[in-house]
Amino acid sequence: MNEPNPMGDIVRVEAVSRRFPLDHSFVSALDGVDLRVAAGEFLAIAGPSGSGKSTLLNLIGCIDKPTSGGIHVGGVATSTLTPSRMTALRREKIGFVFQTFNLIPVFTAAENVEFPLLVQGIGAGERRQRVAAALDSVGLSARANHRPDLLSGGERQRVAVARAIVHRPALVLADEPTANLDTHNATQLIDLMRDLNRSLGLTFIFSTHDARLLEHTPRIVRLCDGQIESDTRSEGGSRG
Amino acid sequence: MGKFLLLAFRNVFRNRRRTIMTLCMVGGGVAGLLLAGGYFAFMTHGLRERTINDGLGHLQIFTADHFRRDETRVLDTGIENWRQVAATVSSAEHVRGVAPRIDFYGMVSNGTKAAGFMGSAVDPDAEKSLGFVTRVVAGRDLDAKPAGEVEALIGVGLAKSMNVGVGDGLTLLAMTSDGALNGVDVQIVGLVNSGVAELDARYLRITLPAAQRLLQSDRVTNLVVGLDSTDNTDRAYAELIPRLRGLPQEMTLKKWIDLATYYKQVSTMFNGIFLFMGVIVFFMVLMSSVNTLLMAMLERTREIGTMLAMGTPRLWIVALFMLEATLLGAMGAIAGVVGGNLLGVLLNSSGLHMPPPPGYTVAIPFKVLHVPALMIGSSILVIVSLALASIVPAVRASRLQIAEALAHV
Repeated sequence: MNEPNPMGDIVRVEAVSRRFPLDHSFVSALDGVDLRVAAGEFLAIAGPSGSGKSTLLNLIGCIDKPTSGGIHVGGVATSTLTPSRMTALRREKIGFVFQTFNLIPVFTAAENVEFPLLVQGIGAGERRQRVAAALDSVGLSARANHRPDLLSGGERQRVAVARAIVHRPALVLADEPTANLDTHNATQLIDLMRDLNRSLGLTFIFSTHDARLLEHTPRIVRLCDGQIESDTRSEGGSRG
Repeated sequence: MGKFLLLAFRNVFRNRRRTIMTLCMVGGGVAGLLLAGGYFAFMTHGLRERTINDGLGHLQIFTADHFRRDETRVLDTGIENWRQVAATVSSAEHVRGVAPRIDFYGMVSNGTKAAGFMGSAVDPDAEKSLGFVTRVVAGRDLDAKPAGEVEALIGVGLAKSMNVGVGDGLTLLAMTSDGALNGVDVQIVGLVNSGVAELDARYLRITLPAAQRLLQSDRVTNLVVGLDSTDNTDRAYAELIPRLRGLPQEMTLKKWIDLATYYKQVSTMFNGIFLFMGVIVFFMVLMSSVNTLLMAMLERTREIGTMLAMGTPRLWIVALFMLEATLLGAMGAIAGVVGGNLLGVLLNSSGLHMPPPPGYTVAIPFKVLHVPALMIGSSILVIVSLALASIVPAVRASRLQIAEALAHV
């Protein structure tokens, strides 16, 4: 899992297709997708609903398996991994941000951020330091002891971002992270993720169908009907 | 581990109404078991002490022949030098006293009518010193050294069938130890109500010397040993066995439990009923909890998907659900133990009586004993049943497909 990747790609998607059974036939969510994402990139996957954005993120995030094709994360071919190794890969290398925040409602903000570290078996002292740093990086130190139901939507999603980065993953996947936020909070969140991308060198891949959020995104992959329609880069991206 | 336990504890109270309902059900089951078990314990304990104090004693000494063969003549399997035997055991630790007894049978007549009786001859002073209770409902108990005629106590049923009362006379006829027929006139000094109708219809008691004269024998059937406490029965038994070995006649020592047939039957019946109730409570908690825990699992599908996506091992999810159920069971058990004991105190002070059981004529007070072993056993039962009930939801939760769970609405 930790072998060096000579190509510098954190994610490599090769001719990936994903079909889902529907009644007596299949529906194709992704069809022959190829994609390479370099370490440290900030990439948006754009496209209308049903274009395959979430399916692609699920496959990259090792929470689903392709029908055909191969995916490499951090140089590891995920199709060769046992379920437990796949779990370990997610635990150590990937952070997730979800559309509906998906915080544990009975935990405080700090405890939610702490959870990935608990799962990794990190000691209490180090957990406390990392949680404080993560919450500080998303500007929520003052809200550490609040439960999710006492936080605004924007704050909840920032807690979710802190939870996704606290264990220092190689890759952060965010599936429609702004879908439940107003424009102001959505823009702030994207800016926050971009800042973390720059300051910590984290690779971010997020999906969105909101064109306004793509203005400052250095690389945009557009999906349509399960295929890559375009892959555009603009100035200001991490790789130029 | 602490955070994991905290998560489980907080999850238990996530849906308070459902948790309270489950706690009521689990607590009710425990309280029900405590009340039923406590009542059975009271009945069993009461029956044990009543059985012992009604004259069975804690230990009884017989000749070995008494159990080996039937008597060919009256008292030919009886104890010969019973005073020596009594002196041998009286000095042992925990022994309060020894009472000689003769069991005999015969006919009783009022001059116009005759009936069979089951006779018991006793030393009234020895019986009283051991605290044995004679349930005299009219008249008085036997005098150890009566001035006039031979005194007799008879059962209320026998008195009714013979149409006699206190102060009336009866004639007893019985076979002597050498095979002759002997008779003695007795005066009824008291009527006895043992509570068992069949026994009262045949019961007759006279003093030991009177019976020995009637039966023409110096022997006794057995010696009844009274101890300072029923709990010391085994210790006293162990001490007396070697003492009895050195006697001219071969002796057999019996514990009260070996002779208390009725007690054993009642105890076995109560145990059976309690076991049945335990099984019902076990399945009641199991079935209803499976449903409750499945609902909780469905409500948290997306959360479980999130935890799995973050790399939480599936076994942790199983453990989390089982821990939550076990916590719920433990809290229900505590509620049940507290509630059951409070209800028990209330019932004990209410003065309620249960109707007499079959064969008895006396109502039984409704009392509940607080038995620690019952509290522990009932608590373990519901905790285990809840832990078992959580297996299905826990395994289902751990097997969720992450992508599907995250899309769950």
